[in-house]
Amino acid sequence: MNRRIFLASTVSAAALAGCGPIGSALNENAAVKSALAAAEGLNHLVIGTRGMAREYRDRDVDRNFRVNGFSTPSDSGYMRLAAGNFAAYRLIVDGAVERRRAFGIDELRQMPQLTQITRHDCVEGWSAIGKWSGVRLAGVLDAVRPRADARYAVFHCMDNDGSGTPYYESLDLHQARHPQTLLAMRLNDAPLDPEHGAPVRLRVPTQLGYKSAKWIARIEMVGTFANIESGRGGYWEDQGYEWYAGI
Amino acid sequence: MRVIYRYAFLTRASHWVWAIAFAVLVSSGLQIFNASPNLDASDKSDPARRVLAIDAPADGVGTTTVFGRTFVTTGWLGWTDDGMGSRGPHAFSAWLTIPGYQDLADGRRWHLFFAWAATACWLAWLISAAIKGSLRELILRPSDLSKLWPMQAYYLKLRKEPPPHGTYNPLQKASYTAVLFVIAPLVVITGLALSPGIDAIANPLTVLLGGRQFARLWHFAGMLLLLGFFAIHTFQVATQGVVNQMRAMITGWYRVGERDGAGP
Repeated sequence: MNRRIFLASTVSAAALAGCGPIGSALNENAAVKSALAAAEGLNHLVIGTRGMAREYRDRDVDRNFRVNGFSTPSDSGYMRLAAGNFAAYRLIVDGAVERRRAFGIDELRQMPQLTQITRHDCVEGWSAIGKWSGVRLAGVLDAVRPRADARYAVFHCMDNDGSGTPYYESLDLHQARHPQTLLAMRLNDAPLDPEHGAPVRLRVPTQLGYKSAKWIARIEMVGTFANIESGRGGYWEDQGYEWYAGI
Repeated sequence: MRVIYRYAFLTRASHWVWAIAFAVLVSSGLQIFNASPNLDASDKSDPARRVLAIDAPADGVGTTTVFGRTFVTTGWLGWTDDGMGSRGPHAFSAWLTIPGYQDLADGRRWHLFFAWAATACWLAWLISAAIKGSLRELILRPSDLSKLWPMQAYYLKLRKEPPPHGTYNPLQKASYTAVLFVIAPLVVITGLALSPGIDAIANPLTVLLGGRQFARLWHFAGMLLLLGFFAIHTFQVATQGVVNQMRAMITGWYRVGERDGAGP
């Protein structure tokens, strides 16, 4: 009996300790990788982008909203823009559109503004609540009129990972037109500061935080993002994270 | 000795699917936990309501803080094996995570795939067991409650005979009912509440759980309960005729005379 217990516990302990190395080996296997990827399509299909993210009250807001992600751009171009209070900033919206546009910060501020107090859920696990104001992405899309072949909005950003690979993200038109998908220019009743993505950042409260790209320079409407960077629709997607970030 | 057909095919198949899925879900779950090794009893992250924090306050030092009390856990929690041949600031050791190095992206893929697999398997098993009527032998009933202690007394050798029972004894029924109909569904629901997409569809669910970070805490606690069940379950298999039990869960046939009255 004691030998059996000893045997069973040794086997169990070995099996548990083996999870890591066995998992690592399987993790490198291409067939396993593509099988695991099936879950993303299922999540997108079942969960999708429906409903509205909860909106909170003023007193729920994190006054010191957590700063995460890449370092604030420090190139001379960005520094000049920031020094001039982003007066020279232009948000370029082009690609598969009928009318390509470049919006100045004042033009964006003159469009109908929306304020939302929503929770930001990071893929790492933490959550923070911020009060965001800006224009609906849907309003900007209406102004440029995407062509019939436009399926995704790709957000090109001014930051990079430190080795020169730029940050970018993408949403499909359904996610882009969600009433809470926002091009934010204010956080907690103040103009967005450089650390939080000034002058314009994305807010997608129905998905994980990496979708909410900061420091947006250009929105490109495309039929496919296969030929942009590594082709998966975003910087973190190119590193293996899911394009559908609703879970 | 009598040989009975005790486990239907779907019971055996789902048993092994769950065994594999459980191992993957726990280890990939620890991988995901490592990316933010705190648990808060709140909606947004809130250090003032932190229940568990696993930290590396300095190089070579790991600590675990539970309800505000800090313990040094170097080597076990906080400062552990990184899977690359040295130690570093990782809450749980790389030996316990999938993959066996820090990789949140792939950990999430393993976790979400096997979450689907385990849930689909649970539904298939439940529907089949309900149709065949075998659920009735498994679910704990009020009349079983008075037999729980006599059964425990039998296990503790305080009693010669187990109380009379059907296919499963009252303790088995209690633990299977708790795991299959309370804890496992709770783990699924608390996992779903972590999804911002689900939260936008069913926010009252997240609110009911105390908020998103609280759901993460419940999810972790559910995992610990399942681990507890797993420990007792494998201990009982190991001590009550491991060959007979394993053979029965593979072929379906259980030898009654060999060791009666007990089971995992």
